[in-house]
Amino acid sequence: MTPSNNRSLLVIVRHSPYGSSLARTSLEVALSSATFEQAVALLFMGDGVLHLLPDQDSSGIEARNIAKLIASFPLYELDNLYVDEAALSQYGLALSDLPQNLQAVDDEAMHELLCQHDHCLGF
Amino acid sequence: MLANSAFDKLGFLRRLSDWTPEVAEQLAASEGIALREQHWELISLIRQYYEEFDSSPAMRPLVKYTAINLGANKGKSMYLLSLFPNSPAKICSKIAGLPKPDNCL
Amino acid sequence: MVLHTLNAAPGSTAFSDCLRLLKQSDILLLLGDGTYAALKGTDGCSELKNSGAEIHLLEPDARAAGIVDRLDMQFKLVDFDTFAALSERCPTQQAWY
Repeated sequence: MTPSNNRSLLVIVRHSPYGSSLARTSLEVALSSATFEQAVALLFMGDGVLHLLPDQDSSGIEARNIAKLIASFPLYELDNLYVDEAALSQYGLALSDLPQNLQAVDDEAMHELLCQHDHCLGF
Repeated sequence: MLANSAFDKLGFLRRLSDWTPEVAEQLAASEGIALREQHWELISLIRQYYEEFDSSPAMRPLVKYTAINLGANKGKSMYLLSLFPNSPAKICSKIAGLPKPDNCL
Repeated sequence: MVLHTLNAAPGSTAFSDCLRLLKQSDILLLLGDGTYAALKGTDGCSELKNSGAEIHLLEPDARAAGIVDRLDMQFKLVDFDTFAALSERCPTQQAWY
């Protein structure tokens, strides 16, 4: 494997989950990268934190359930999940409301994530 | 027997609700697989996965999920390959009436 | 040092999310709808200037938008070659849209 195949990827999810296909695409990119054993981390920023709400039920809108998909991330060994602390409080959410293994980050730490990864893909 | 129109171009069932064990036999036959008890155990497991995560698994998560639910002996690529040759995640999904896994070549 | 590219108007969440992570040591390139943020005297423009980052805007996009004569003089108009050169200078690039 050449080094270029092993570069780390940060996927940034900034849009709400059901309003467009962007959200779904961003998660698919993360999952595909993880499937091919690329180092990948996921940051839920701004409106993107709405992906993490429990109790989602998309059965009435013919869309797949994003919360369920996110629940499968540990099976893909997609374990580096970060969430925008300020956006959480903006939406009145606490880390304890959300799926486990998420790490809350402030603006400083998010900038650090941008710098730490070889590639950033924003959605 | 379901008519050809019930399946997509790649032979996956179009509507999950059309699935029955008989349809599974039909799908398995088209893959050249005669279903035995071990196959049914995996088919039932992958349908449980779909229910839980609203997606068909790729290979790696399927192996892990199998290990968690059926034990480490079965949670191995070799075991899955022996039952569903070449591409276990894809073929098992197909026989179970699920959509093609997204992250699967 | 991060090269941020912003392709969204100042009212968008892309704009505000970008500003949150734009550091003084970073570079920002405005393109497409992002060029409106460089309009002289607007709130968006002063927020950008307060970041202290080095800010450029893509000239063809600003021309298309009809805003070249209304831009804040502090921002530099650049062409595609300069965009490419900026990418080379920065190890990480993040697109906001």
